[in-house]
Amino acid sequence: MSPYFILVPILVPILAGILLMTFPIQDYKTRAAAVETVVILNTILVFVLLLNRPAERLYLFSFVEGLPLTLNIDGMATFFGGLVAFLWPLATLYTFEYMRHEERVNTFLSFYTITYGVTLGVAFAGNIVTMYLFYEALTMVTLPLVIHTMTEEAQKATRKYLNYMIGGTAFAFIGIVFYSLFCTDIEFVLGGNLDVANLGEYANIALLVYVLAFFGFGVKAAVFPFHGWLPTASVAPTPVTALLHAVAVVKSGVFAIMRLTYFCFGADFLKGTWAQTVVVIAVMVTIVYGSTMGVRENHIKRRLAYSTVANLSYILLGVTMMSPLGLVAGLCHMFVHAIMKISGFFCAGAVMHQTDKNYVYELDGLGYAMPATFTALLISGLSLTGIPLFAGFVSKWSIVQALLEEPSIMGYVGVFVLLYSALMTGIYMLSLNVRGWFSGGTAARQDSARFHDPSWLMLLPLAIFSVLTVALGLNAQALLAFVQSIATGTF
Amino acid sequence: MTGNPILLLLVLGPMAAGIVSYLIGRRNKALRDGFAIAVTSAEAVVMLLLVLMGGEVSLSVPGVCGMGLSFQLDGFRGVFATVTAYMWMMTTIFSREYLAHSRNRNRYYLFLLMTFGATMGVFLSDDLFTTFVFFELMSMASYVTVIHDEKPETLYAGGVYLAVAVIGGLVALMGIFMLYSVTGTLQLSELLAACQAAFPGNEAWFYVLGGCILFGFGAKAGMYPLHVWLPMAHPVAPAPASALLSGIITKSGIFGVLVLCTRIFAENAYWGFVILLLGVVTMLLGGLLAIFSLDLKRTLACSSMSQLGFIFVGMGMMDLLGEENALAVRGTLLHMFNHSNLKLVLFMAAGVVVMNLHKLDLNDIRGFGRKKPLLCYVFLMGSLGIGGIPLFNGYISKTLIHESIVEYIELLEEGHSVVSFAAANSATLFHVIEWLFIITGAMTVAYMTKLFVVLFAEKNRDRAVQASFEANTHYCNKATAAVLAVSATVLTILGVLPYLTLNKIADLGQGFLNGVSPKHAVNYFSLTNLKGGLYSIVIGAAIYLLVIRLGMRVKQPDRTYVYVNRWPKHLDLLELVYRPLVLGLLPTVAGFLCRCLDYVLDGLVLLGRKTTHKQLREGHLLPKGFELAYVVGSLLDGVVALLNATFCKRNPIQADFVRFFADQSRIYEETKREVMSGVSFSLMMFGVGIMVVVIYLLVV
Repeated sequence: MSPYFILVPILVPILAGILLMTFPIQDYKTRAAAVETVVILNTILVFVLLLNRPAERLYLFSFVEGLPLTLNIDGMATFFGGLVAFLWPLATLYTFEYMRHEERVNTFLSFYTITYGVTLGVAFAGNIVTMYLFYEALTMVTLPLVIHTMTEEAQKATRKYLNYMIGGTAFAFIGIVFYSLFCTDIEFVLGGNLDVANLGEYANIALLVYVLAFFGFGVKAAVFPFHGWLPTASVAPTPVTALLHAVAVVKSGVFAIMRLTYFCFGADFLKGTWAQTVVVIAVMVTIVYGSTMGVRENHIKRRLAYSTVANLSYILLGVTMMSPLGLVAGLCHMFVHAIMKISGFFCAGAVMHQTDKNYVYELDGLGYAMPATFTALLISGLSLTGIPLFAGFVSKWSIVQALLEEPSIMGYVGVFVLLYSALMTGIYMLSLNVRGWFSGGTAARQDSARFHDPSWLMLLPLAIFSVLTVALGLNAQALLAFVQSIATGTF
Repeated sequence: MTGNPILLLLVLGPMAAGIVSYLIGRRNKALRDGFAIAVTSAEAVVMLLLVLMGGEVSLSVPGVCGMGLSFQLDGFRGVFATVTAYMWMMTTIFSREYLAHSRNRNRYYLFLLMTFGATMGVFLSDDLFTTFVFFELMSMASYVTVIHDEKPETLYAGGVYLAVAVIGGLVALMGIFMLYSVTGTLQLSELLAACQAAFPGNEAWFYVLGGCILFGFGAKAGMYPLHVWLPMAHPVAPAPASALLSGIITKSGIFGVLVLCTRIFAENAYWGFVILLLGVVTMLLGGLLAIFSLDLKRTLACSSMSQLGFIFVGMGMMDLLGEENALAVRGTLLHMFNHSNLKLVLFMAAGVVVMNLHKLDLNDIRGFGRKKPLLCYVFLMGSLGIGGIPLFNGYISKTLIHESIVEYIELLEEGHSVVSFAAANSATLFHVIEWLFIITGAMTVAYMTKLFVVLFAEKNRDRAVQASFEANTHYCNKATAAVLAVSATVLTILGVLPYLTLNKIADLGQGFLNGVSPKHAVNYFSLTNLKGGLYSIVIGAAIYLLVIRLGMRVKQPDRTYVYVNRWPKHLDLLELVYRPLVLGLLPTVAGFLCRCLDYVLDGLVLLGRKTTHKQLREGHLLPKGFELAYVVGSLLDGVVALLNATFCKRNPIQADFVRFFADQSRIYEETKREVMSGVSFSLMMFGVGIMVVVIYLLVV
């Protein structure tokens, strides 16, 4: 297939979004049909593209010599692009129902759709400059989505979001500039392009640059100390927090770090250096922090946001092991977490939408009123905790395997951190269900009897995610084999 | 998938049946109950046939849950899988009447069958990974059956149960990870060799990982100091669930500890010594708590803890005795087996009481059993068995464990320095342990006598109540009666014919524990062995008469007696240590640290805004260029502040001299500028100039 075809799925949603902004559709049903058609069409395009990958990369143009814009589809791009394309139509479906009674839905949906294209841009970027470009664009197009409700709280959150993102960009930019000086070729290659032979005395500078860039891209991945924006940003409407702040934006950050580590600097160069120690410690601190705060937080969505903070760092914990096994574990958890966390957020959203309840202690007895929602929440919670037979267990197991590949103190500490986090996850996720099903007795149950499950638009995505979580928990061989081939470069 | 898929059916079948029973239950409740009974009975029959046919069956299912599952059916697993299935069959039949008027029965049956499948999975597992997977599933699923009635105290106890299960499970998982990383395998059949190869040089890691795994499985097995959930969860759970919890689910914890004792630390005396001491503490504490308890099911729960302590002692002796551990192996195995059967009977008998009275306090249920021969027979069989009375089943296994301690003492006295460290070589210590063992046996006799006397001998304080108790002859239906009678009779057969029954079971199971048949068969009814049992009975009678009859009963004005709680209320490990630690200290410290982390970045921004990037605000800023005013003003401000602090405290002087001087000098400057630039000022200066010139001319 012609490499120019890579541009199509990136541009279609962007153009569609702009069109919707210029020609708003007032009727709810027409608008829903139009947007969903575009999104599904684009997803089909993505899968057609991924199944018939163009052999060579697409060169667009250069800013200056040595900083070209290129698009390319390799294993990682296939993985992330496929994940995004799979989740977007389902999330959009959910959005229609959730946003039904909100204002300015046209603007919201247009930016929502534009974000789809930009996220694909991050996935398909062929070198770090292109990725950086789309990465920045992602910040900008998601801004209107966070501020959507226009309340004072939302404005504050957006300001914080922007501050963190711009700050992170500065670090990332430093990283890119130095990297372009140190590398032989700026394109992504598994194993890295760093000119290690001629680095000589600059090796430590290169490591420093890596650490800076790690934290720069780590802002989107909510790595300590740049985690603050994520829980604050959960004031945004649920579809935003679910898809963007559990998948698209944060996973772009993680994806960028994977690219940076394995495809720019190269895992072999970083393994065993002080740079690895620094980033591993930061990641572990984030895990402990996120899971502890999850327990302390009573607002359901913020609780899930803290859980996201911790889980993103699970992925990074695998990634920072700087080994193929680590990348396998990271990718595996990236996929699994996307499914179960989006499911968790959708459940929280369904509860908010149906009952206007936002806090954990308000959930008493709701399980019987909304059985489908709470069953999905239970599956998501068990999976996040890492109970066997659910997908989360498989990916955590692979992270642990990566940690213990070579027995070391760091590995054991990592396992300990993971288990501590699992315990906390158990508490903060399962307490939602214990509240929903067992607390409050008959009185609470009668009180909540007036509520009911949301319509199929919301339940269908939940059902798909739940089934997938269980299926992957029972047999994840296909997924593992796929990420294995990416991590070893045989894809 | 390689091997015989029947093993997978045995594990997943009940789980699937659970879902089916849930669906059936939405339409037809009677059919659901029947279905559940049919499934458990079928499973019990299949297990029994498999064991009788003999031979080993194995199955591995690669790829599932990341690492793949593997199952194995050999003698030991066969025995305990059969016991599991048998107990589930009995309790499921019993559940039908016990829960006849209860809500949420669909949920109960769903999770009862789920727990069944998971427990079968634990006992049939062939690698620690599979064990762990099903162990966790079992913990989660059994939680729902424990909290069945959803009362606040039930939810609280259930919360403790779940917390211990989750924390224990995770710690065990940590240990399993470390084991995998050190030895590279989790297959039970390969672990022994792998651990023996990896142990030298990795001692520290091995003890750490062993501690982790022991923590997880020991918590389930009611080991001190992780026993707190046991006396809480049993009384609140429905009786059939208590029977299962106490009878077989605790044994799944023992299964994990057995793997530690026979695979990872096989014949390691240090390890054996630790297990032995934990066992002694557990059995003593359990016995004490049971004596002091005033709650029927709580007494039985504490008794479980005590009996599990006996099993731990057996396991400890197993490792201490090394190659000559035949008695310890057989004693441990048989006590596991016996205790499962005993607790099934006792909890179901207690369940009959609860089902009729919905009360558990000994003062309330006193006299219920009078003129109820069946209940009396059942409870008596259970009591005699667990009390270790000769001719009943508990006697056999206790004797074996006791004999293993005696054997160890003999070895020490003959001068064999069995192990290399001092404590384990002290014959005195082991004499003490032997006596503690006998005394705990006596405690068992004492608290079981207490229960029996309360239920079947004494009369209720209220005559009307006693009359209604005695009039109640239809206290259970025929199915329940049959279940009770059968399971109690099994105990008797086991006790009377130990050579035909228990010895065979020990022969079947000892291979898993690396045991061999003893060189000469043990004569259970020899004089020396009977002596131990006799000591227990005599001391037990003394404890009953002195402590319980004299110490725990208080005479009332109407010349009747009331049992009172003599246990210090605040002496509760959970309330004293764990709750403050887990719910108080931990979140506070963690929360403080997290807040600190929270403010690291935001704090930097804030610091910048307060210092280098301070924003300018109107009204607060002084005009520039008034250095003199600033210096003098500050000086005067200082004086004013001093005065305010000393003399003028009542009426402080409100003045800002810096601003005052600055304002004054600004006015002065502005006036000056205006004056200087005015035309009249120019004219005046011009005039002044002329006058100066004229005066000069006149003078000169």
